Amino acid sequence: MSSGPYDRLYSLPAFLLAGCLLLLQGCASYSHSFEPIDAKLANNDPASALTLLDEQGYNDRNQLLYLLNKAMLLRMQGEYAASNQAFEAAKKIIQAYSAISVTEQSTSFVINDTTITYTGIPLDRVMLHTYEALNYLELGDLNNARVEALQVDVLLQRLTQDAPDSALSVDPFARYLAGMIYEELGEDSDAMIAYRKAYEAYKEHARLYATTVPDYLKLDLLRLSRRMGLHEEYRNFKKEFGASATHQADTSAHNGRVVLFFSNGLAPVKRESSHTIIDPGSGIAVRISLPYYKNRPVPVAKVRLRVNEIQSESEQVENVTGIARATLQAAMPGITTRATVRAVTKYQMARQAQRQDDLTGLLVNIMNVVTERADTRSWLTLPANIQMARISLPAGRYTLNIELLGQHGAVVDTRQLKDIRVEASKTRYISYHHTAH
Amino acid sequence: MMQLPKQALFLAGFTLLLLAGCGTQVERVDVKEVHDLSGAWNDTDSRLVSEEMIEDMVSRAWLTDYTGKYKKKPAVIVGTIRNLSHEHINVNTFVNDIQKAMINSGRITFVASSVERGEIRDERKDQDLNAREDTRKAMGQELGADFMLKGTINTIVDVDGDDQVRYYQVDLNLISLSDNTIVWLGQKKIKKLVSNAKIRP
Repeated sequence: MSSGPYDRLYSLPAFLLAGCLLLLQGCASYSHSFEPIDAKLANNDPASALTLLDEQGYNDRNQLLYLLNKAMLLRMQGEYAASNQAFEAAKKIIQAYSAISVTEQSTSFVINDTTITYTGIPLDRVMLHTYEALNYLELGDLNNARVEALQVDVLLQRLTQDAPDSALSVDPFARYLAGMIYEELGEDSDAMIAYRKAYEAYKEHARLYATTVPDYLKLDLLRLSRRMGLHEEYRNFKKEFGASATHQADTSAHNGRVVLFFSNGLAPVKRESSHTIIDPGSGIAVRISLPYYKNRPVPVAKVRLRVNEIQSESEQVENVTGIARATLQAAMPGITTRATVRAVTKYQMARQAQRQDDLTGLLVNIMNVVTERADTRSWLTLPANIQMARISLPAGRYTLNIELLGQHGAVVDTRQLKDIRVEASKTRYISYHHTAH
Repeated sequence: MMQLPKQALFLAGFTLLLLAGCGTQVERVDVKEVHDLSGAWNDTDSRLVSEEMIEDMVSRAWLTDYTGKYKKKPAVIVGTIRNLSHEHINVNTFVNDIQKAMINSGRITFVASSVERGEIRDERKDQDLNAREDTRKAMGQELGADFMLKGTINTIVDVDGDDQVRYYQVDLNLISLSDNTIVWLGQKKIKKLVSNAKIRP
């Protein structure tokens, strides 16, 4: 065949470009694709959100996020058993894809980080176990909740091994919840160990973002150390905590308890910030895109749990936003390095293509710029923070009033849960999600 | 021109062969074959543990003592087997494996557990109302168990990067219902080394 200007179109770089244009569907920003689902959640409508999620579908690399979101949306509708099935499927994905993929890594240096299968940041994995445990608690299945507590312990061991210097390796609420499960089952020594570890973790985390040791944990430490006869430890805690008994003390030994876990709002979303520089000599454009967190609005500050005259205000037990931001901040050096190496690789490719001819060079240049997107994937149905409220009640049937309080203490909304049965010496766990804004 | 159909046929045949491997594959395997996939507690573990432990149980002195003293087979009821492990083990299949091993040993009389007898008692009550006089089964004629079998499944997990050592310990106790003595204690240990892949294609 004679050579002509259109022969270039059949050369290898052109085919690569065509291939990449096909991949562009996967290069669209994940967090923007979630916006319609976010709109449904803004109306406190998890059922429609789940329908939309199923309609949207997912590609193989984002399968974990689909399962995690599905589990959370099912949970918001009270379908705890189905939610756990989705969580178990998510665990299998994490196990199958945790190994580093050679092809994914090499492709990510030519396109962008979204070619790597998402296997979850440590926060995602811990929250998976935490929410599965909360599902089991809602179902009244303490034994399986205990299994989750053991699994999260193995996970935290692994995370501490991987990053021994980072305080983020130990999630304080995961430890605290495990302690609550052990105490409920009468395993006092395991509960005490978990409470102590939770206390240490809350203090460590307070250095990284805004969080405090919950007063409930302080009361639990005091109560359990006294019951176990650890008198010196009890005295030390009493001295350390001072006068922090702001909650209703447990009145009767035979009272039951209602514990409300309030998942408040939605976790921050990742957006990308990009910079493009043009090399004056060759005219090649170099673009770097990096992710950053943007908070989603959280109108509710805390909740008040009220049963007849007895009331209790909730306390934050996990600042998910704080942990997410701290995790991204710690990961930024790595992300920036990868983006820089990728920019250099793409520049070299564009230079090479330019040496062939201008058209190929231009096409490769365009492809390089267009495929440079930040990895904005994250578990978007996680709450902004998790809060807990406890009330001690004699055995019986009650109507619970949940009052949602705004930033200045004004009541934003109220919910009623009717016919809640409380048994003597047992705890009834209730979950409530509020995503409207 | 005659070449083309032959080439096309060859290509079509080759493609069909490739596609045949693309669908869902189902392979029937024997129940006794061991297939360890993810390292979690599986049917092999349940079967091995129940068979070995019950074999041990029926070969001990308590059985010969009982049959020597009372001249009949002991009646055993299965109580709770608690899952204290770090896996969501289906305890029901394990309990069923134990029950099967006990009955098949032929040296124990087996009594329905508290989970099962609710339905049986309802049926008996129904018979009282609806069945013919000579075929009615009277209430209050159940065989009281002599021993109760209880147990726990425990695990210890040691993690190092992608490798895990999982240690399972299954403890079963046979407790006399007349005087609370523990007449038999069985223990079975299983250790697994699970190495997760570090690299994949």
